[in-house]
Amino acid sequence: MSWTRRAFTAAMVASQVALAAAFALPAAAQAPKTLTIAQGFDPQTLWPNGTTASDNLNAGNAIVEALLWSNPADGKIEPMLAEKWERTGPTIMKLSLRPNVKFTNGEPMNADAVVHSFTVFLDPKLAPAYANYAAAIDKVEKVDDLTVLVHTKFPYPPFELMLTQVYITPPAYWNSAGMQGFGQKPIGTGPFKLTEWVKDNRVVMERNRDYWGKGPTGIDRLVWRPVPDDTARVAGLTTGEYDIATNVPISTIKDINSQRDRRVVEVPSFRIFQLILSSLEEHPSPLHDKRVRQAVNHAIDKKAIIDNLFEGRAFALNGQLLRQSQLGYDPSLKDYAFDVAKAKALLAEAGHPNGIEITFKFPTGRYAQDREVSEAIAGMLAKAGIRTRMVSLEPGEFLRQLRNRELQPMAYLGLAPLDDPDFQLAQYRSSWRYAYIRNAELDALIDAGAREIDVAKRREIYQKAGRLMHDLAPVAFLFGGYDFYGVNRKLEGFVPRGDQRFFLHNVTLKP
Amino acid sequence: MGSYILRRLLLTLPVLAGIVVITFLLTRLSGDPTDLLLPPNATDEAREAFRAVNGLDRPLWEQFVTFAVKAVTGDFGTSLRFEQPAMQLVLDRLPATAELAAATMAIALLMGIPAGVVAATQRGKAADALIRAVMLLGQTVPSFFLGVLGIIVFAVWLRWLPTGGRGHWTQLVLPATTLAFNLVALIARVTRSCMLDVLKQDYVRTARAKGVWERRVIWLHALRNAFIPVLTVIGLQVGLLLGGVVVTETIFSWPGVGRLAIQAIYARDFPVVQAVVFVFAVIFVLVNLVVDLLYALLDPRIGYK
Repeated sequence: MSWTRRAFTAAMVASQVALAAAFALPAAAQAPKTLTIAQGFDPQTLWPNGTTASDNLNAGNAIVEALLWSNPADGKIEPMLAEKWERTGPTIMKLSLRPNVKFTNGEPMNADAVVHSFTVFLDPKLAPAYANYAAAIDKVEKVDDLTVLVHTKFPYPPFELMLTQVYITPPAYWNSAGMQGFGQKPIGTGPFKLTEWVKDNRVVMERNRDYWGKGPTGIDRLVWRPVPDDTARVAGLTTGEYDIATNVPISTIKDINSQRDRRVVEVPSFRIFQLILSSLEEHPSPLHDKRVRQAVNHAIDKKAIIDNLFEGRAFALNGQLLRQSQLGYDPSLKDYAFDVAKAKALLAEAGHPNGIEITFKFPTGRYAQDREVSEAIAGMLAKAGIRTRMVSLEPGEFLRQLRNRELQPMAYLGLAPLDDPDFQLAQYRSSWRYAYIRNAELDALIDAGAREIDVAKRREIYQKAGRLMHDLAPVAFLFGGYDFYGVNRKLEGFVPRGDQRFFLHNVTLKP
Repeated sequence: MGSYILRRLLLTLPVLAGIVVITFLLTRLSGDPTDLLLPPNATDEAREAFRAVNGLDRPLWEQFVTFAVKAVTGDFGTSLRFEQPAMQLVLDRLPATAELAAATMAIALLMGIPAGVVAATQRGKAADALIRAVMLLGQTVPSFFLGVLGIIVFAVWLRWLPTGGRGHWTQLVLPATTLAFNLVALIARVTRSCMLDVLKQDYVRTARAKGVWERRVIWLHALRNAFIPVLTVIGLQVGLLLGGVVVTETIFSWPGVGRLAIQAIYARDFPVVQAVVFVFAVIFVLVNLVVDLLYALLDPRIGYK
């Protein structure tokens, strides 16, 4: 081989290496044990109690942990930073904290940290999104270094659920960093710690080597990427840039599942879809008559919507608002049968033989296919003689009207309260700011359920409430939604919850 | 020259003041951000606290005075969503947008001008027809469609480029090309028609008669004269570019000002919307000032006093 030829070969190899390096995609340049998650938005804060937005909570929760944890796999409440918890009285919960846990800055996780975290949690100026709980809590006191007593003002059934929402922060660091500073540079006890946050681009977290628990298997690093566009998120999942992509559109499920190394995880959501049928005196409409509200229920073909618009990926409500897995679900209740003749008969009986005309409000861009569903419903109602004037609302205006009880007389709505029957049904108590029904009997049942600690009695109360609501039809019972996640098939144990929350402390990324 | 620039800059002050007033009023017209930023079941107490902290409970004129006094010093208030200074949020994201805009402009000029010149000199021939067809496409295909198409072809099918993000130069290629596409077409079209005009001029004939090389005639004599209208168009298109940035940055998850703007608008994050509009307005005004100054550089007959 001549000298020139050798030089030429060497130059070729060098240029190829340089080219390869220049063209190497960022995904390929990453460490092999990285889990990359594409969500819709960049977190605003990584302090979990700063908002209720799942994008923030999912990322923040990898660093900052709560007292308890509700496992989406079986719905059970499990220990986190509180190792044991027991009711020592109708209004007292005794928490035994996990010993020898330290925050990543060296501060001890103890009763002082928990009392401090409760103080922050209960301050409506600091944690406005969680202020509902403040109404129930009386005081929080330290007993010894690892024991805390939480007193409520009254017997409070969702006590444990509340404890899953209280995230524990190190008091000294919190006081020096402040709420905003903490949200940008959080310190916690979790399996990961923050290493880099390039706004709107990526949040990078590294393994906390001193984590008290086992933590995830096969993952050294987490990268959270904000990808607002659905198509781009699915594309990045397909090319291997992301291991998890949240909220993939229903139309892409088949395509993703047909890929060798990707699949879709489908999760029944906490979001319950319904039509508001206001019977408040201040909202004059034919819906004041129970028979008209029942007619609306009979006129809607729920199954057709589920099958055609959601490709079967939505679940029937069976004429109630509590989900099958919730306390108080009544298996004896069934959906209002789709029966146009019966709907017409009920309308005639209520004095509307020629049908009615009614305003129907719906959001555009708030829920998956909200406009399509609303249009389908309007079409079905028309066949039963219920002619709708459709009003499309921008999501912000939609929420404003909801809160101000202006979503009347009829509106398409999806509500996703936390997983306790009280949080679901309290939304129909006459005093609730967006309740569109006023019924003393229902109010009494909701109040009784909210204070009943005995599980069997509580179930009975909610089943009774469910049957009452089925008959009163304050809403048209539509369907429950699904959430879809595109994930790497090598990721095991990934079980998101119905409120779009997912947890990474127990997942495995196989090599 | 110096006094001219000073005069121009002073003249922009009322324009910017007007923009500040209009954005303030328009954002307020859109409704109360409390409903969007707190969960629907938040208590009244929490809502009142949120309003009080952010001054939303005060009368409109009072809110404006507070805002205006601070805005003069560059303080546009605190973002309702991020709880950080609004102007800082915008300035943090400005380098990313500047990078994207610069790459876009470079692509647009490097492709648009030669295409326009070739189309003009080859008028009526195959090359002209082809370039004009591409121009038509470029001006009619919206960038959101083009962006998604680019992702599917170059990221998913060919696997040449990543789907989005920022940090590696490969991540810049798709968004910049998408954003440049409309601009290329526009620049090529204007260049073509100006070149056709200029090529008919006497001085071009004179140059050719003197025996100047054809290439030199076209690329130096003719193009330099045809360039002034092109420059004007570029200056005016900065607005289009800044608008296009909003869509393109969202599709390609590019962490720039455009994406911040769309998030802020959806969340009714008034301070951020105001800061973004203000910064965009300043950029627009400055770019057009630079364009005017470049005229003088290109054409010695134009002078500013």
